[in-house]
Formats: sequence, structure tokens, C-alpha cells
Amino acid sequence: MEIQDFIESGILEAHLLGLTNKEEKELVRHMVEENQEVKEQLVDIERDLTRYFNGSAATPPTAVREIIHLRSGQDNFRKEKHTFKNSASAENSTKFLDVEVNDTHIKVHKFWRPAFIAVFILSKIFLIAGLYYYFKAVNQEEELLRLKTEIHQVK
Amino acid sequence: MSELEPIKNGVDRQSIARRSEDMTSLEVYDKYGAMAYGIILQIIPQVHLAQEVLVSVFSSPQLQACNSYPFSFVACVIKLARAKAVEAKRKITAIAPIADPSNTSDTSPAKIFDLSFCQGFTPEEVAEKLNISKSEVLRSFHEYFKLYRNA
Repeated sequence: MEIQDFIESGILEAHLLGLTNKEEKELVRHMVEENQEVKEQLVDIERDLTRYFNGSAATPPTAVREIIHLRSGQDNFRKEKHTFKNSASAENSTKFLDVEVNDTHIKVHKFWRPAFIAVFILSKIFLIAGLYYYFKAVNQEEELLRLKTEIHQVK
Repeated sequence: MSELEPIKNGVDRQSIARRSEDMTSLEVYDKYGAMAYGIILQIIPQVHLAQEVLVSVFSSPQLQACNSYPFSFVACVIKLARAKAVEAKRKITAIAPIADPSNTSDTSPAKIFDLSFCQGFTPEEVAEKLNISKSEVLRSFHEYFKLYRNA
């Protein structure tokens, strides 16, 4: 395939937009590795894409940044492998953990869910069993009392 | 190979525009957050849902892959934002299906770009919908950005 045909085929744009399949990705990779012209074209397309999407950019609410900050902070704290900085700067970022949260909710591990369900079911079982044996004991007591009075009457 | 998997050897990385050093998710957000939000809103017009997707993009571990992406960071963010938004849109349409927006008579590059990028159809699906070949669909992307460049 001629270089110009390849560039005009739109496969580079599709690749940068995430619209290519496995074979096409391989083809783009091969062409980028082999041809300086394709590589330069790719840079130009990237620039166009950036300009195009910056044209439709919208400023998100500031709360979104806070949430991302909290979530990424938590992720970095939990999983050190998911850090994006080099080791020195990552060390600095994890030294202090921002714990100022304007939230009335707490988060617990997902394993607490089955634990709570198990505790709830067990409490119901014990409640029913307790009531059953309570009423059974009351009935037995009444029966005992009735039998005692019968024995007294017979005497 | 995943969407964000790097193209490894052989690429002269100096010639390709990219960031100078690895960035944190917040740094990436500060730089590309507005652009990603714009992309997500194009795919999901519901503001609250779009904001949820935006959070998922920038708190995603997949964003780490952009640090080793061979091209510019922006291309990686565009891909990730679109992928997350399309995934969310598919979930919504699975619950509440919407009418097919495609008009088979319109095969303009803008329409093809909208179907592929915003509506989440693959180039093969777009080609089938519009009764054109896949190569014509791909060529439309080139035409679309060529028109944009010359506008």
C-alpha cells in the first residue's frame, strides 16, 4: 500500500479515536515503525484531534476534582503499584493523607455486607427460637400447675 | 492487545509529541479534564451521568497505561473517555432502549463520525447501517478532520 493511500485511508484517525480492530492496530504499528512520513502524519492528526476536542471542551464542576482527588488518593494508599509519579515524588504524595471530607457517609469493605446479612438472619432465628421456648415453658408451667391442683383435688 | 496497550519497540519516541514525565491522575485531570468532559457530554448528554463517567475515567487504573503510551497523552485520554462513555451509554440503552438515530440517506463524514465516535457503533456496524464499505467509513474520518483542519 502506498504511503499516501495509507494516510488517506483514515486508519490513523480511526486508530487514535480507538476505532480500530486488532489487525488494523498491528498495521498502524508496523507503518509507524517503518515510515517517518506516517509518524509525522500521526503527530499532525493528534494535534488536530486535540484542537477539535478542545473546541468542545466543557468545564466540569469543582466537586468532580475533589472526588477524583479522594479516589485517586485512596487508590494510591491502597495499591502502591497504581502510582503515576516516580518513586521520590510518590513518597512525598503518600506521606500526608488528606482526611478532610465533607461527607456524612462512611465506607466499609464489601465483605461487611454478607456479614451483616448473616448477623441479621441469625438474630431472627434466635428471636424465633427464644419466643418458641418461652411460650413452651409458659405452657409447661401452666400444665404443671393444673396437674398439681388436680392432684390436690383428688386427695 | 488492549486499546491502551503501548506500541513497544521501534518507535522513535522523540519525534512523537508526548509528555515530558509521568503525571498523576490529578495532573492529567487538570490538563485534560475539560476536554474529556466535553467528549463524554457528546456521548452522554445527561450531566450527572457524564460527571460520574468523568470521575471513573480519572480514577481508573487504566489511566496509568497512558504513561507508557507511545503517542501523546491526549490521544490516550480521548480513547479512555470515549470507551468509558460508550460503555455507560450501552448500559443505559440496555435498560431503556432509544430509537436508532441513524439516517441511511446521510453518509456525510460528520454523520459517520457521529455514529462511530458518539453513538458507539463500530466502523463495521456503521458501514452496514449506511450500506457503504468499511474503507469508506474509515476514509470519512480522514475527510472529516481534513475539513475541520481547512475550516
